[in-house]
Amino acid sequence: MLVLSRRVGESVVIGDDVTITVLEVRGDVVRVGVDAPRSVKVHRAELVAELAASNQESASPSQDAVASLAKALSAKGRRPGEQPGGSSPDRD
Amino acid sequence: MLALATQELAEAVGDIPVIEFVEPIPGFREDRHFALVRLEEGSPLCALTSLDHQDLQFLVVPAVLFYPEFAPEVSDEVVGELAIESPEDILVLLIVHAGESLDQTTVNLRGPLLINTVTRRAAQIVLDDPRLSVTAPLLGE
Repeated sequence: MLVLSRRVGESVVIGDDVTITVLEVRGDVVRVGVDAPRSVKVHRAELVAELAASNQESASPSQDAVASLAKALSAKGRRPGEQPGGSSPDRD
Repeated sequence: MLALATQELAEAVGDIPVIEFVEPIPGFREDRHFALVRLEEGSPLCALTSLDHQDLQFLVVPAVLFYPEFAPEVSDEVVGELAIESPEDILVLLIVHAGESLDQTTVNLRGPLLINTVTRRAAQIVLDDPRLSVTAPLLGE
């Protein structure tokens, strides 16, 4: 990993068209500005990691889980939002 | 900002044989092509099955059926990537995490899937809004 020291107002350039500027340092919080083309996605790292973890946990549910969910939903009706409260669906 | 897919579109969602994700879903870099199949007539549950790897499948539901107020803001950049010409063409899907019971089953509101039903291009967008949960109850509203 390349480590650089920068002061407030100074920047780092990545590639041809991404510039990261240190805007403010207050305590343990550093605010940075990212100037990048629209095609470059910029997200907080933990947000993307959270999505990846959630996707992986949700991926490929077992046939049994899918079948029991489908059954429970059909017992509940198509639009549960229109049935406030209500009892738990029957389970096997 | 785009308006939501209408309930009519969600009701009418048929099978879409080949959906191309313009960029990979986080956590699954190698899967770009999926098929959307309604599990059974009248059910809100759909299977989003990878065409690149045989064993990868997500359970998804149209957002409007469970979170009718959910209105994700779509950036111009995504509008361009998905070649969106009309908000009515967009189907918003939520990935379902099947729990042991209906009450424990959740959906991801942080990272909804957008599918342009005309171009069949799709993306999972990242919503940087702390009020949105990755594990919102399916029957939350």
